[in-house]
Amino acid sequence: MAEGNNGFEPKIIGFLCNWCTASAADLAGTTRAQYPPNLHPVRVMCSGTVDPVYLIKSLLSGADAVMVGGCHPGDCHYVSGNYKARRRMAMLQNIFESLGLDANRIWTRWISASEGPEFAAAVREITEETRKQGPNPLSTDWAL
Amino acid sequence: MVDKVGAVLVIGAGVGGLRAALDLAESGFKAYLVDSNPGIGGTVPQLDKWFPDNGCELCKLLPVFSRDGCSQFCLRRDMAHPNIELLPNSQIQEVTGEAGNFEVTINSVSRWVKTERCTGCRLCAEVCPVEVPDEYNDGLQLRKAIYVRSPQAIPNFYCIDRETCTKCGKCIEVCPTNAIDLNLPDESQKVAVGAIIVSSGFQEFDAAEMGQYGFNRYANVLNNLQVERLLASGGRTTGELLRPSDEKVPKKVGFLQCVGSRDTERNYCSTACCMYTLKEAILIKEKYPDTEVIIFYMDMRAFGKGYHRYYQQAQELGVKFVHSRVSVIRENPKTKNLLLLTRAEDGTDIRSEYDLVVLAAAQCPSARATELNQALGVDVNQWGFIQSQDWWQTRTSKEGIYVCGSAAAPADIADSVIQAGAAACEAATLLASARDQLVEAEAESVASAASDEDTKVAVIICQCGEEITAAVNTAQVAEFAQTLPDVTSVEEVRFLCLPETLEEVKKSITKSGANRVIFAACAPYHYHRLLGNTMREAGIDPSLWQLVNIREQLAWVHKDDQAQATEKAKKILAATVDRIRGQEPLRITPMTVEQKALVIGAGVSGMVAALSLAEQGFETYLVEKSAETGGHAGEAYYNLGNEDPQAFINDLRKKVKNSSQIHLYPETGVVEVNGRSGNFSSILKAADDTTTEIIHGAIIVATGAEDYVPTEYQYGQNDKIITQKELQQLLVKNGLGKPTTVVMIQCVGSRDEGHPYCNRTCCSDAIVNALNIKEQSPETEVYVLNRDIITYAFREEYYSKARETGVLFIRFNQEDPPEVNATDKAITIRVNDPVLPGKLEIDADLLVLSTGIVTGDNRALAETLSIELNEDGFFREVDTKFRPVDTAIDGIFICGRANAPRNLDEEIAQAQAAAQRAVNILSRKELQSGRIVSEVNARRCSYCGICVTTCPFNARWLDEDEHVAVVDEALCQACGACVAACPNSAAKLRGYRDKQILSVIEAVL
Amino acid sequence: MAKSATLAVKDGKIRSSINALLADLLSKQVVEAVLVPLAHPAGNNVVQSLVTNPDYLEQADVFAPVMPVNAGRIIQAMTRLTPANKKTAVVMRPCELRALVELVKLRQAQLDNLYLIGIDCPGAYSVSDYPKYAAEKTSDDFVKAAWNGKDDPMLRAGCQVCEYPVPLMTDLTIGSVGQDLKKQLLLLASTEKGEELLEGLGLTAEEDSQAAAQRHTAVDQLLNKIKETREKFFEQTREEIGGADKLATVFGPCIKCQNCRVACPVCYCRECFFVSPTFELEAEKYLGAAEKRGAMRMPTDTLLFHLTRMTHMAASCIGCGACEEACPNAIPLLKIFQLTGTNVQKLFDYIPGRSLEDELPPTAFKEDELEWIGEK
Repeated sequence: MAEGNNGFEPKIIGFLCNWCTASAADLAGTTRAQYPPNLHPVRVMCSGTVDPVYLIKSLLSGADAVMVGGCHPGDCHYVSGNYKARRRMAMLQNIFESLGLDANRIWTRWISASEGPEFAAAVREITEETRKQGPNPLSTDWAL
Repeated sequence: MVDKVGAVLVIGAGVGGLRAALDLAESGFKAYLVDSNPGIGGTVPQLDKWFPDNGCELCKLLPVFSRDGCSQFCLRRDMAHPNIELLPNSQIQEVTGEAGNFEVTINSVSRWVKTERCTGCRLCAEVCPVEVPDEYNDGLQLRKAIYVRSPQAIPNFYCIDRETCTKCGKCIEVCPTNAIDLNLPDESQKVAVGAIIVSSGFQEFDAAEMGQYGFNRYANVLNNLQVERLLASGGRTTGELLRPSDEKVPKKVGFLQCVGSRDTERNYCSTACCMYTLKEAILIKEKYPDTEVIIFYMDMRAFGKGYHRYYQQAQELGVKFVHSRVSVIRENPKTKNLLLLTRAEDGTDIRSEYDLVVLAAAQCPSARATELNQALGVDVNQWGFIQSQDWWQTRTSKEGIYVCGSAAAPADIADSVIQAGAAACEAATLLASARDQLVEAEAESVASAASDEDTKVAVIICQCGEEITAAVNTAQVAEFAQTLPDVTSVEEVRFLCLPETLEEVKKSITKSGANRVIFAACAPYHYHRLLGNTMREAGIDPSLWQLVNIREQLAWVHKDDQAQATEKAKKILAATVDRIRGQEPLRITPMTVEQKALVIGAGVSGMVAALSLAEQGFETYLVEKSAETGGHAGEAYYNLGNEDPQAFINDLRKKVKNSSQIHLYPETGVVEVNGRSGNFSSILKAADDTTTEIIHGAIIVATGAEDYVPTEYQYGQNDKIITQKELQQLLVKNGLGKPTTVVMIQCVGSRDEGHPYCNRTCCSDAIVNALNIKEQSPETEVYVLNRDIITYAFREEYYSKARETGVLFIRFNQEDPPEVNATDKAITIRVNDPVLPGKLEIDADLLVLSTGIVTGDNRALAETLSIELNEDGFFREVDTKFRPVDTAIDGIFICGRANAPRNLDEEIAQAQAAAQRAVNILSRKELQSGRIVSEVNARRCSYCGICVTTCPFNARWLDEDEHVAVVDEALCQACGACVAACPNSAAKLRGYRDKQILSVIEAVL
Repeated sequence: MAKSATLAVKDGKIRSSINALLADLLSKQVVEAVLVPLAHPAGNNVVQSLVTNPDYLEQADVFAPVMPVNAGRIIQAMTRLTPANKKTAVVMRPCELRALVELVKLRQAQLDNLYLIGIDCPGAYSVSDYPKYAAEKTSDDFVKAAWNGKDDPMLRAGCQVCEYPVPLMTDLTIGSVGQDLKKQLLLLASTEKGEELLEGLGLTAEEDSQAAAQRHTAVDQLLNKIKETREKFFEQTREEIGGADKLATVFGPCIKCQNCRVACPVCYCRECFFVSPTFELEAEKYLGAAEKRGAMRMPTDTLLFHLTRMTHMAASCIGCGACEEACPNAIPLLKIFQLTGTNVQKLFDYIPGRSLEDELPPTAFKEDELEWIGEK
């Protein structure tokens, strides 16, 4: 594995919706798409159930980036979950920006079940970008 | 009378077959779902995106009630339903018997791979020396002789293509589970079914037959499906549109419509191609804005719900439309560019050069259709499509055999799914007396682990031969698992999914006394049911075992870093152990069902829906606001090709009147509706203000629509300017006389700014009226001024016939409509004729306007029912394609013109489909919630109502007395929107509690 | 609808004129109760009181520069379960009104039978600073000085940068901005209920009065000035707290006592998520987490608490500063919440407390918004 940034291996948590993105992750597997192991998938029923506290907790507990993966807008199995997720992601990023924290460690990707390669590409991209950003200062400070 | 069998054979596991099988399975019938392919889905899984919203919502086909019975993941992967038996690689050999009791011989071609031993590891395909074009990618790629149809297709078991296999035996050598056996015999079985539904789909016309277009000869001439595969993320180019000759993005793409259709050989319209061409054009334009996209077309037939807007979207994106048929294509041998020769409307020849040309090849009956239809003994039409009956789109010439989708006529997904529901309704009606005869009662939940019992977790790690161990050191993972709290046994197995292993696992779990089990293995799809059964036998509650995927999501994607992959596996396992330790057994809550229905509106759709329910044994309240039943069809006297509408409607009226199950309430409205799916209570209010309260389990909205009253073209100011409906009345009464000239103008009050949708019916209405004028008065000149003539499927023949009889069709642009100048003496119409220069001036004795359909005021009813209307005021369906008759509120369905403009036979099919959806609920005594549902911690609930607003399914409400939010578990579909919305976790999702998720986070980091 | 009347300031005494007006409401039976801050006999504080006997209103002091509790909270306590069964006038500051509107949207309070009387608010001192002021000066002095445009560095942090010192949603406003306070106050009715009050008091209301126009101009000037102040304030705040390091310093003293959220008028949960069983962990979890980190701050999750609370209420934060006042360790919470709250509110084009019709951002969505989220 390519190592940069003094061997820094980012830790990333991905909350993947059961219907689209988690399914795409499986498809990436059946087609043997290779991507770095840095993202830990957590399957949830819908991107709309991802409470910001999960993301903040992740970023404060050692994650260098977080990702929410859902169905494309308009395609939600539960009609509108991803629209609600989109608002929450926008809000959380906005709060991070206001506080001068790294909003760009918070990722959203809409990946449908047939987009296995896109899932692999997203993990590669997020891993690479996070590698460039270096360790998440929020997760390295014991006093936070 | 025959003893009816409570099972139905569904032939073809495409989207229509899946819908029909699911509708039957959900309403108490066993379904055999047969497909000649090794996997389910038909054409659909080959497509990434669908019109008219470029989305994928296939999963919306899945049932929402008692959903734990059916698989709950993407249908591209798998579908498992206890009442559906999937028979892939199978064909119908013989059908004997009669409606209610057929015996069908099904031949299953051996795949030469034992599915119960195949792990999907791909080693066989890697060594297979045979390479052949891959059907899944429409020949754009190669596959091996041992293959899976698509990476998404399920069962994801390998299969040997016997035609190309050389029997070299290499695969046998490498197969780690001895799954391959080249002598595995074909199987034949006889099944007894009460009815048969044919949803065998279509085959794409082989464009190579049209030599002038050079398909298969010119590298850069493709068909729609190939372009679809190029644009697909999982395709050869991972979604890039690269032309085959040089792998470059084309700068200019031409789409040619009607290839193999609307010609002398196949004089029918292939119905869906305009739309998928539009889709591909839009996708190309969105991805490559600089690429020019030109569509050569005859008529743009974007007539379904939301399709006209999609057409406009394409225009806005800069897709160009040329009204012309391309006569020939030549390839420039050097550049591999394509020279198109076309004739413009004014007769001039145009040559233009393209980088890529896409042919919209027609839907044709499948190659096996003739054989199949003969075995079934059903009549076919001149092109080999199954002949359906007048009015009843899904009835064939043979009682007990029904048809849906493209097997009967070219159709798109939306219409196929509606027809599939209608076919299921027909079968269920025929077999109503045999309902529940062959389906298993839902499995009882096993005794749950007593809460005072110590948590004991068993961990079973599958090596999948070398597949997992190649990337993950499973021994280390196992050693690590031993150290995790509450883990009492850890076991490594070589192949978890093999029957003998499952048997051992079951024994060892029983022996170890574990009450929670974690499997670290592969994607859940294949083994979900297998493991479920094993765990049930081992006495483990369904919510207390879990499968973590360390193959597809780990070993196969992190092949080159064993250390990290192993670490990741450990963490995932630790997280899962942590999660399952805190998991309590989840219960299923039953809710009683009032097995009666309310149908609102007694037009044709309402009456058909009510009769479909009544004939299946469900009491139905049929409410009609006017004094008369029949709705708009009450004024119809003839139809394109169909028999007498009046006779048909009178027959429906008689049946409604005579049905002991139908309570007809004329001059009555619905003023209040409370409750939920399975248990509504409503208040009906009659014209004399008397009210009646009824209880019922489902609602069908069939309130129809209204005729547009034109303000255009001086309508209402001159009695010689009339609508098509008024013309029909004249013609019926022979009151037309012998006018010299009749002019018809199409799209009045449709496909315009105020009504951006196609009315779907008026081209047919105009043509049937024009034909009748010609019949009554052959000398009369009839002009039809149109923007596109939308005579899809077999309506095309009438269009041809009209032209042959001398009806003149003149095209105009929306921006340049005909000018009408009417006085008491004469009506003069001026229109730009694209063929001749200058304006054409016609003096008409009669001007007939083809007027659209507009909605009545649906707002009050929508509010009463808490369902939505679309921008045009029609009732909104959850999904145009996959749940076309469902509203967002479970238990409330829509059909007919209340939903969208439709022709009468289409309305009937939709009414049957809606009735069948209602039957899915009404046929059960109780609805069961899922195991995973949301709940309320009443002590913490602040009664803010955010969860109620957020819930898309009306599954939450506020208890005003207790000041607390309440969950209706039957309606909750486990999306968890409430969980994220509730600030203090008073809303929780069972199995996904915040505490569980937070501890997973801690564990994986 | 903007009808107004004037209230003569008798003998140049603002407080007693207002109190007489309120007493009139009761004695003329326009309303049956009045919620208003009464001066505490000790003179060191005011207390929100529900008054039915007009005699007590002599002690009312609506401009007393102290706000020990946001009255939105009082109304919440009173009407959460059932609405007021008697006509009740409530005299509130703009931030209290805004909190109330948010609480109503969250079903924590009900407006039936309530007559909202808002005041143009010159701000308040902290509860600990107030006695010093009250010992020397009166609330009349305070209002007059405040509207003369002098900066008062002793004001609570929230008041210094208050975005809306004038009511956004109210039935009747007691307008003091732009008025000659020696002579008169403006009574501005913005709803039918407001007009009902004026009528009941026997005051003739007129459309578009000159006094109303004066107030309008003065309010515009005031808001413009505030805008500038706030921009500077945000800039400074970003400088002070921006970034993980500074944030760590700022939140360093937090002991997760949750006083901030208890004081917050829009943090409406009956029991906070952070005291729920979700955060009651077994010792093994604490020790496990500590082992991973080498050292772990206890109590845990302090920053998690604040950031999560922001996601819950940033959209509804009315900037009253109650959080900051409640903090035992002087964490500049108002600054932080105003910064994030204002930006989130901008994002969703939402002004908390503006109207009952605006949908709470976390519960709503639009199909065609925020399209950059999820884009590659």
